[in-house]
Amino acid sequence: MAPSKKKHADDQAYLIPGGFTVLSLQFSSDTAARHSLYVKEHRVRAEKSSGRPMDRTLFVLNIPPYCSEGVVKELFSQFGVIQSVELLDHPGSVQESGPKLAKIFMPPAKQGFKVGYVVFKKASSISAVKSHPHDVPLVVCTEERQVKTGVQKWIQQYTESLIQPEKLQEIVDSFMQDYDKRKEQEEERQRQEAEQQQEDEEGWVKVTRGHKGAKARPHSEAANQRTLQREKQKKKRKELMNFYTWQHRNTQKEHIAELRKKFEEDKQRIALLRAQRKFRPY
Amino acid sequence: MKKKQAVSEEPAEMIPSDSSSEGENEAPTKAKRSKTEDAGEKEEVVYHPVKLSRNDLYRPPTADELNQLKETESLFHCSLLKMQMEELLKEVTLSERRKGQIDSFIQTVTNLLQTVPESLQVEVSDLSWLSGAVKVPFLLLPKTTKGKFRMVPPASVDVIGSYPLGTCTKPNVMVDLAVTIPASVLQAKDAINQRYPRKRALYLAGLAEHLSRSSDIGTMRYSCLHGNRLRPVLLVCPPDKDSSFTIRVHACPPPGYFKPSRFHPQRNNIRTEWYTGLQTSQTETNEPPTPHYNSSLLGDLLLRAHLQFLSAVSSQCPAFAGGVALLKVWLRQRELDQGTGCFNGFLASMLLAYLLMTHRISNTMTAYQLLRNSLNFLASTDLTNNGVSLAKNPDSTAPSLADFHDAFQVVFIDPSGHLNMCADMTACTYKQLQREASVSMQFWDDPTVDGFYSLLMTPKPMIRTSDHIFQLCELVKFQSSCKKLNLLSELMDHSGNYIQTALPFILSLLQRGLGQRIHLLTHSLSPDPEWSVESEAPKYKDQPPLSFGLLLNPELAASVLERGPPADSPKAAEFRQLWGPRSELRRFQDGAITEAVLWEGEHMCQKRLVPKQIITHLLQLHADIPESCLRYVGAALDDVIKTGSEVNFEILTGEEESLVVVQAYDDLSRKLWALEDLPLSITAVQGAHPALRYTQVFPPVPLKLDYSFFEREKISRSLVPKEGKPCPAYITPVTVICHMEGSGKWPHDRLAIRHIRAAFHIRLGALLKKHHNYTCRPCPTHLDVCKDGLVFRIQVAYHREPQVLRESLSPEGLLVLRDNEEAQALEMATIHKPLLTSTLHGLQQQHQCFGAVCRLAKRWLAAQLFSDDVTEDAADLLVASLFLQPAPFTAPGSPQVGFLRFLHLLSSFDWRNNPLIVNLNSQLTAADYTEIKNGFMASRESLPVMFIATPKDHKLSLWTKRSPSVQMLQRVVLVAAESLKVLERQLMDGSQTQDIRVVMRPPLDAYDVVIHLNPKQVPLLGQAVDPPVVNFSRGTSGGSVRPSGGVLPVIDYNPVSIYLAELREAFGDLALFFCDPLGGTVITVLWKPKAFVKAPFKTSQVSARSVEVTGEEAKTFPNIEAILQDFRIMGKDLVKSVEAKTEKWLL
Repeated sequence: MAPSKKKHADDQAYLIPGGFTVLSLQFSSDTAARHSLYVKEHRVRAEKSSGRPMDRTLFVLNIPPYCSEGVVKELFSQFGVIQSVELLDHPGSVQESGPKLAKIFMPPAKQGFKVGYVVFKKASSISAVKSHPHDVPLVVCTEERQVKTGVQKWIQQYTESLIQPEKLQEIVDSFMQDYDKRKEQEEERQRQEAEQQQEDEEGWVKVTRGHKGAKARPHSEAANQRTLQREKQKKKRKELMNFYTWQHRNTQKEHIAELRKKFEEDKQRIALLRAQRKFRPY
Repeated sequence: MKKKQAVSEEPAEMIPSDSSSEGENEAPTKAKRSKTEDAGEKEEVVYHPVKLSRNDLYRPPTADELNQLKETESLFHCSLLKMQMEELLKEVTLSERRKGQIDSFIQTVTNLLQTVPESLQVEVSDLSWLSGAVKVPFLLLPKTTKGKFRMVPPASVDVIGSYPLGTCTKPNVMVDLAVTIPASVLQAKDAINQRYPRKRALYLAGLAEHLSRSSDIGTMRYSCLHGNRLRPVLLVCPPDKDSSFTIRVHACPPPGYFKPSRFHPQRNNIRTEWYTGLQTSQTETNEPPTPHYNSSLLGDLLLRAHLQFLSAVSSQCPAFAGGVALLKVWLRQRELDQGTGCFNGFLASMLLAYLLMTHRISNTMTAYQLLRNSLNFLASTDLTNNGVSLAKNPDSTAPSLADFHDAFQVVFIDPSGHLNMCADMTACTYKQLQREASVSMQFWDDPTVDGFYSLLMTPKPMIRTSDHIFQLCELVKFQSSCKKLNLLSELMDHSGNYIQTALPFILSLLQRGLGQRIHLLTHSLSPDPEWSVESEAPKYKDQPPLSFGLLLNPELAASVLERGPPADSPKAAEFRQLWGPRSELRRFQDGAITEAVLWEGEHMCQKRLVPKQIITHLLQLHADIPESCLRYVGAALDDVIKTGSEVNFEILTGEEESLVVVQAYDDLSRKLWALEDLPLSITAVQGAHPALRYTQVFPPVPLKLDYSFFEREKISRSLVPKEGKPCPAYITPVTVICHMEGSGKWPHDRLAIRHIRAAFHIRLGALLKKHHNYTCRPCPTHLDVCKDGLVFRIQVAYHREPQVLRESLSPEGLLVLRDNEEAQALEMATIHKPLLTSTLHGLQQQHQCFGAVCRLAKRWLAAQLFSDDVTEDAADLLVASLFLQPAPFTAPGSPQVGFLRFLHLLSSFDWRNNPLIVNLNSQLTAADYTEIKNGFMASRESLPVMFIATPKDHKLSLWTKRSPSVQMLQRVVLVAAESLKVLERQLMDGSQTQDIRVVMRPPLDAYDVVIHLNPKQVPLLGQAVDPPVVNFSRGTSGGSVRPSGGVLPVIDYNPVSIYLAELREAFGDLALFFCDPLGGTVITVLWKPKAFVKAPFKTSQVSARSVEVTGEEAKTFPNIEAILQDFRIMGKDLVKSVEAKTEKWLL
């Protein structure tokens, strides 16, 4: 927007404090307003494993919802050959957990502004991006690359959501086979563990921390609490009420105390209501 | 502007803050409240649970304290009610300061009255002695009467009525002053032919003229006592404007001037000859009796005696004044205390006196007990049949009770034994009073109802009490009905007041005609006319229209058949006489041939108006009141939920459509149960969609599709919307939950369960296709089934899945349960929603109009752009509460009254301090209520702003957890109050512009950006509040629908909702988006002020923001231009234009 243009020469890259370079982005050549992309080389040491090599990865902020991974790839390929593009809702790494899911079984992706990790083939591409002049916007939708939005996109989405039952069945079957296999492996492992606990030839038993097997009661928090509660109730049932005189006297005392408490409570409630002028009938 | 602030304040903040935000954005009433809080009272207004020290709680009680505690425990449900009553009494009784003002003004007026100058004796008809400035408050009909009159100072001036008794209550403080006309002005035969009433009016005019010369007197007006034109009164206000009391000057004859026996209800005091001006041959004994005329004269004569009687009684009972005050408040809330034939404060005092004298209540009782006992008496005693008398030993000339019953509809005799104090009351009014009393007693005894509020604090205006209302507008037509009903002598008795004359007859006519269809027929009490002393008394026809209310009996009200007696029975003639030409002989299936009347009405919306047909017919036939005079307000709101289905050109209000859906569902459910070859058996099939509980605003309609309108998907040949064509008709999927048997075969893993569910969907789909040829579309999350032109969305559920979602393994290997949103959402969808649906379905079976009320309510919420804040389920629960706990009303009997009460509930319920408890299936006991309330009070701050508790949900308020926010609730309350006001005004006043859709059109100027949508792409356009005359073709064609087979249609494709969801996902932290999901063509946007504060550059918060560098610091702010551009891009072809209303974001 305005302030950026005033302070910087138009054909230079626009660097802001924090190390980000601002690139402008336009939906198509005839739209006036521009978004700003904030880019920087990726430099987080903690993530060594994930496919984001430090020197070749570009960290991109504020990618508008209509830019898919493919679009981003094409947008940045003008700076160099791209190896991969990853779009996320928030900066950080994704926890890869569990088996791979078919797309149709994934929860729908959020349609918001995204952050991206663009991995180039060469490290030199990064600097090419960072020196890109601010006033030459990246154009999302061009003659060659039509980006569908609005009704067109929704119709496409609807069409894609239609899936053949046979195909769906296939996906389910393959997942379940996979699942069964994993389960078998797990069982196998447990069996081996159990075997290990058997006596060996010399009569030694290897003792490990308990795992599944013979258990007195379910091993969970809720179950623990239930048992405690049950014991408390048992204790309570044993007591006799109003049997001795002192007990009777105590009950009476409690009753009066209860009445008093209620009276005080009501008094306070009235004060509250009075403060709210709740007694004007009309 | 005010509203905007209210809405746009930080929505994440769910906890209502007490003073800081309220002060400026709240409705005026609330603002006033909080101001007083801030200003004066040091009191802590937040409720804390009481903490008493052990010492306080367990110290030995004194005898006094013990008594008090015991008394409150046994007499009241709780001490709260007692204290509430005391506070209420403090509010309505007059303060000492006010009394001082009143006393001094009374003194002034009395002094002035004593000095009225004398005038010469003139004929009664000669008004030359009055200066023209003051008119006589009397309708001279017939023109002349005999007699002499002259003005002399009054024999005495006394304060009477409620003021000296101490039973005077705020507001409308009236102090009665009785001015005794000296005997010298009157003549012996003045009781005859309105001579005395005319002299009385002249005397008042004389007094008024004298008072008008004084500067100590403010404005003066005439009125008449309880609308009785024979008893005009002079209303005198003090000169300073802000004093809010009025002195009412009565003129009365000297005590004992007339013999009471003259006014026996069977005596005649108005001669036909004089009244009609015609010579008649009737002798005096043949003259018709004039009971009403007699009693109005007697009333004047006994004014002072009554005061003496009441003050004697009240002096013995210390709580008398309080009891009367409570009773008056109760009457006033029910609009029974003012107007012609009302049950006024005087009658209330007399009632208490009667109860005291008959020892039904004792002198030592408290005001609370007095109220309770008098309501009990009213509820159990029918004064229309068994009148009561205050006279202990009436003299021999006093008439008997039977005499009174012959002459009057309601009988309550005064201490003298001569006067019926309820002379003007109609039987209908008394029945209303009786019903109110018995209903009140019910609420009082019900520990789950807040008796105090429903009895004394909630107003019950007719429009919100009666199911249907009608008004008779041109009252002058009553003249012809008097003629038609042959009521000359009654007209004479009422001194020409044709309205009061005809009213009882019309009421009894309607009562006969409506019979079992109604529980109660009520009518408005015509208010006492008031006019300035300079103008002539208004004519009878100038009265505001008479309103009548019907309390319908839902089972019978809508029946189209009125079955009469057999043709040969003697009662047949009576039946024919009542119904006239509409009555015809009909043969019924059981072989009987009887007289019967058949009314028109094929569909529910027409049947609801059968009472209107009856009333119109009867009034026309018997009372000569044409249909044009009748303004029937019973279904004015039905219009907005009517759907003109294009297929068969019938306009219906949805009951029938819902039924079609439910029947199709029942069939599907049966077929599902019958399926074999499933690996696991089905344990439950439950509907989980509003359409299955009759509360869907526009229930899905079976559609036949025109295949050429659509594109085809390549492999499955399913229909797909075509680009460039208007959006196809929206097909609502009706959700059905299908629970599968629990078994060891289910995996214990969330992803595996998800896949197994998908496998079930495929299997169910295949089986349904094979056995019943339904087109199915299985998805991982659901299975869509096309059946009878409708689409059902079956979701397979496994009862342990939420549990599995919650489970996780802690590092120690302990199984930990952690609640999470995913599990909650799943429980909501598979457990709570089906349960709610079946419960509300049951409610609909008990109350026929439940569904219609829900639909009106939701239509309103949607139209006002609130449907995302008050969700459908929450709205249904709110409406359910109106039916389950209608106190102080009874359950609504028509959609209209239900909707009005819904608005009233929304706007008047104290959401801050009270939970709304919806006792579905009456599962909650009084103990549960207290438990819920205490729990609510203890953790108010952390609970949703709108708290709704149900039997299955005591603590969480599941349905309102997410929304509305404080600001939105404030806005809802405000808009509801305004809508209610507009609506009631329109419904009650025929002269207003009649366009009830006004309340459904939200103001758009309060929003920052308005996105206009292209109507072509809005599939539900036909459901809009103002539907366009011509709609687009949306790929439907006429003709009957195939029950099965066919191609898969386009299901659940609504560009508007997809667009809205995308907008919220992308810009949810910058702005709020509002839209009417039912055919709205605008989306309104409200920026969040917080998002517009410049924030330092953070990688997690740069979405749609621009950056600005100042020195070393980079700050970000929303890039509005680009955002507006994005609105257009993301909604390409759907968005017509984006209109920025305010320039608020210009930083």
